[in-house]
Amino acid sequence: MTTVIETRDLYRHFGSEETEVVALDHVSIEIEKGEFTAIIGPSGSGKTTLLHLIGGLDEPDSGTVTLSGSNIAAMSGNELSDFRRDHIGFIFQAYNLIPVLSAEENIEYIMLLQGVNAVARRQRVKEMLALVGLEGMGDRRPAHLSGGQQQRVAVARAMASNPDIILADEPTANLDSKTGVSLLEVMRDLNQERNMTFIFSTHDEKIMERATRLIHLRDGKVEQDERK
Amino acid sequence: MLSLKLAWRNLFRNIRRTILTCLLISSALIVLILTDGIILGMVDVMVGGITHTLEGEAQVNRKGFRDNFEVEYVIENPDDILSELDSTEYIAGNAPRVIVGGMIASPYNTTGGLIYGVDATREESVSKIKQAVYEGSYLTGKEREILIGSEMADLLEVKLGDRIIVTAATVDTNEITQELFRVSGFVRFGPEEMDESFAFINLSQAQRFLGLENRLHQIAIRFKDPEDSKNRNLPIFAALTDDQIETLGWLDLQPSIGAMIEMTNYSTAIVGTILFLLTSLGVINSMFMSIYERIYEFGVAKAIGTTPLQIVQLVLFEALLLALISCFFGLVLGYLLSTYFAVNGIPMGKMEFSGVVLDGNMYTKLSTYQFVAFPIYVTLLTIVAAIYPAVFAARIVPTQALQRAL
Repeated sequence: MTTVIETRDLYRHFGSEETEVVALDHVSIEIEKGEFTAIIGPSGSGKTTLLHLIGGLDEPDSGTVTLSGSNIAAMSGNELSDFRRDHIGFIFQAYNLIPVLSAEENIEYIMLLQGVNAVARRQRVKEMLALVGLEGMGDRRPAHLSGGQQQRVAVARAMASNPDIILADEPTANLDSKTGVSLLEVMRDLNQERNMTFIFSTHDEKIMERATRLIHLRDGKVEQDERK
Repeated sequence: MLSLKLAWRNLFRNIRRTILTCLLISSALIVLILTDGIILGMVDVMVGGITHTLEGEAQVNRKGFRDNFEVEYVIENPDDILSELDSTEYIAGNAPRVIVGGMIASPYNTTGGLIYGVDATREESVSKIKQAVYEGSYLTGKEREILIGSEMADLLEVKLGDRIIVTAATVDTNEITQELFRVSGFVRFGPEEMDESFAFINLSQAQRFLGLENRLHQIAIRFKDPEDSKNRNLPIFAALTDDQIETLGWLDLQPSIGAMIEMTNYSTAIVGTILFLLTSLGVINSMFMSIYERIYEFGVAKAIGTTPLQIVQLVLFEALLLALISCFFGLVLGYLLSTYFAVNGIPMGKMEFSGVVLDGNMYTKLSTYQFVAFPIYVTLLTIVAAIYPAVFAARIVPTQALQRAL
């Protein structure tokens, strides 16, 4: 197995003095390629902070994050943007699609950043829409899609750049149970078919059931790390 | 292309704000076009007032004559000069003159004045003496005709056909000479100093009266293209200048007016600067509001790999499109308004400005650069004003932006 994510002694706090909150307290984990990992724990345990640090969206106070052998702390702002674009896909709880772009254009956007040519972009958009079961809905804007459909578009967008790692922050939190399961099946299939690494922060038991590894966080520390 | 599409669609997310911002930018462009049009129109009236009323667009004078209008400063051999002026293609007309200061007396009163001996026919192509006649008739070349200004007529208490005596000094002998004239007409130019002190008689009689023979004091010139008068390198200026005589355009004849007109041009720059500042604040405010509304989107965009430079590009695209839409409407409305005022004028009342009477309506003057350079300035301004909000958007920290989305 290849280690794609390695964190060493990650420490991150917010606020100062009396209001100080330690979000992550010297967290060290290693995640192998193809793992379907759920980071679980109560609210405020540091799940989202850990995801943000792994994705290079935030900087730790101390400790390191190494992705596919690259220490992201050593990267400049633009290098980090490029690295995220090419290696990491993000799925957010609130979908966060660009409302003025259609589903197709939302998916296409990241490939445009990558400089993929128009023909390849169009072909990949079709493929992604089919993958998440949204054929024929590509021209709809987010406002004309249900929550589940929007999250599927978000998954397709995350997949479009063909990343090594997908980071999903509470992806099913705003979805009803049936839609959530359906979306999870899509992601699980992608994980198994493409050996893509998924990391979720979640409270959702359905994700926990399907995850191959559960990392329990409490008060910013790894309380338990179990592989199924 | 998707960035441009995204920028275009972003403009229509809050249509009311976009319309208000467009109105602000368009208004700035319209005001700029109108202000410049009014200033150009005013300068034209002023220059026209100075050059076309009496002075001419250029003059040939004996060097030193214009200092005190002393009669002995004469152009000795004017025939060669007149024929050269007659044969110069770009000159529309020339008017030989004799000018002398003297006393003008009626049976009731006496006043000092400047008496112009003029060639009635040639003056028509250079000055507006004929048009200034409001009572009586223009000079016909008959002996003893004299036109006097309206204020002078009041002072002398004369009416048409009344006799007046002009007293002046002869050129060569400096002796006092007198001549009887009959008032053939009254003129009104507008400026008080002209109407109370100017009188016009026939050139031939003036030359005989002052003992000048064929000599002249001045030749006023009018060009086919008025812009030629400002071109100091025009061959005629050098050709008709030597150690005795000088030929100067109106800018050199009236340097104070030239400087004043140059200052007037600055007023466009001042108005433009004020408008630009106000518009910039409006654009900055509008762009910031737009960014704050979409802060989570910028966070997501950065999270998925959009570089700060690409964010800057997106915001500047929005500013560019906003400017282009605004300029389109600004140009159309600016053109319509400017054309309307160029035809119908803006009522300004009567005012005298540096000796030029601006009476009635002020007409705007349209110029190509108003519709080419000004929109470019406005577009550049809008983009420059958007740089600060763009940089702000580029510096958005994804984690903070994403927290706001929740």
